[in-house]
Amino acid sequence: MTISQVGQAPRTRADYLPGDHGMWFFIVGDLLIFGVYFLCYMVYRGQNLDVFLYSQQFLSQGIGVANTIVLLTSSLFVALATEAVREHKIRDAGRLLSLAIVLGALFPVLKMVEWIPKISAGHTPGENLFFMYYYVMTGLHLLHVLLGLCIMAFMLRNLRQAAQPDIKFIEIGAIYWHMVDVLWLVLLAVFYLMR
Amino acid sequence: MSTIATAEREPVSQPTEPWYKNKKLDQLLCFWSIPVFYNLFGLVFVPLSWMMPPRAPESDLAGVVEFMQSPNLLIASTILILSVGLSAVGNAMYAIQMKRMSVSPVLRFAFIAGAMTGAIVGCLFPMFCFGLGAFREGYSPEILQMLYDFGYLSFIGCLGCFFLNWSCLALAILLDKNNILPKWLGYYTIWQSVTEIFAATVWIAHTGPFAWNGLLAFWFNMVLYVPWQFIVYYCIFQAIRKQPESELYNSGPTPRAAYA
Amino acid sequence: MIAYLKNPLTTVWAILSLITVAAWLIGRNVGTDLQPSHAVTLSVLLIAAAKAQLVIMYFMEVRSAPRWLKRVAYGWVLVLFPLLYLTNQLVN
Repeated sequence: MTISQVGQAPRTRADYLPGDHGMWFFIVGDLLIFGVYFLCYMVYRGQNLDVFLYSQQFLSQGIGVANTIVLLTSSLFVALATEAVREHKIRDAGRLLSLAIVLGALFPVLKMVEWIPKISAGHTPGENLFFMYYYVMTGLHLLHVLLGLCIMAFMLRNLRQAAQPDIKFIEIGAIYWHMVDVLWLVLLAVFYLMR
Repeated sequence: MSTIATAEREPVSQPTEPWYKNKKLDQLLCFWSIPVFYNLFGLVFVPLSWMMPPRAPESDLAGVVEFMQSPNLLIASTILILSVGLSAVGNAMYAIQMKRMSVSPVLRFAFIAGAMTGAIVGCLFPMFCFGLGAFREGYSPEILQMLYDFGYLSFIGCLGCFFLNWSCLALAILLDKNNILPKWLGYYTIWQSVTEIFAATVWIAHTGPFAWNGLLAFWFNMVLYVPWQFIVYYCIFQAIRKQPESELYNSGPTPRAAYA
Repeated sequence: MIAYLKNPLTTVWAILSLITVAAWLIGRNVGTDLQPSHAVTLSVLLIAAAKAQLVIMYFMEVRSAPRWLKRVAYGWVLVLFPLLYLTNQLVN
């Protein structure tokens, strides 16, 4: 598919697949794998409800919510940037994507602000099953965030340097970043907020 | 006589026609070594030693001693000692196919190095530990207990090397423009390598889902890993079959620089 | 700039942020012993499902994607969240 073809606004076109089949294969599989982990979490949580509820009170809900807003806003900028690329507003797209990267980079920083005091207070993965789950799942998600930041850096490079930006690559990176967002929304609900 | 003299002075710049008819015989031999290796591997770890599925980390001392000194462990260790080198042959086959990909050679060298260090820590170390229990009598139960922990922890907790080498394979598949292996396999390989990280928890947890016999640290990884291993071999087999003969090492003129 | 503020995606983002804060107010932990609460769990999971659905529909553009993808992606939300809720109810 040539760039001029995809350049037409897909919003008006039904049945447009953003990104490619390979990335959707990855996203659907990743969502399923995380889904199974979340279900297992629920089972173990139910079996050890006292421990889980007791430990949950030590989580920093404020930072969790702040990180949610950070990721949502970053996702918004990525979505707007994708639209801008389709409308050939490459400069705008570059700016929007830079904002998205800056916000996305805030996520690991806030995560450290959250983790380090917890670990110093003795809430390590070895404390109990809840904290093990908490560090493993948020850590796995953090890994996804870091990978997403790398991908976005390459997207920005493509926008800045290529004569014609590769819209399929931009879309692939964008849908990946939104998936990272979706996973965090579930994490926030099951680890931080539910009782 | 003069021809021999020139051959001695001039290094062979052009591999001669191989004596075997099937020009892919070298790769196919590597390929078929893998089912042999995995069958022996399975035989060693499951019916001979019952090391797999993993025993509980907190088994009582008597159980550990009985396991470490069971006569079957002798046979299991022997088979493993003799066959562990086959994994190198299998990895050579990956490397040959990775060489065809349009990616940096760094990836395939890192892949090989990671695979071999992984095989040492994840396969040889446990073998030494269980082999010590089987072949050397007279260790006190406490020492056997330590060897048991060491063996299992290195078998299941050797994540770093495998994480690295599968990630290199995944990255090579995804970046490759020659489509040697399908892209979805690259993504599947990412899941496979990321779940290796879960094994980090076996160092901390002694019971529950994150212990070395736990649902998340072991069983889920197996559910992802076992089909992956079959699928990746099938895909590699297809890649060997599709490889044009002109691309083979032992056909056509090969400039010396290619080996440098 | 104004065009971006008027963009429907920005509206979706505003809704997402607002319901995130709402979920926080519902599930807020005041520091002492947490008691299991059916109402909190249900509303928090419902809000999370709505947010996931919004992100998948608008940000990931599944809304205008082929039907198979719609089925799979919406199916994930429609299956996962009820299962999470039911597991939580049944195991307790």
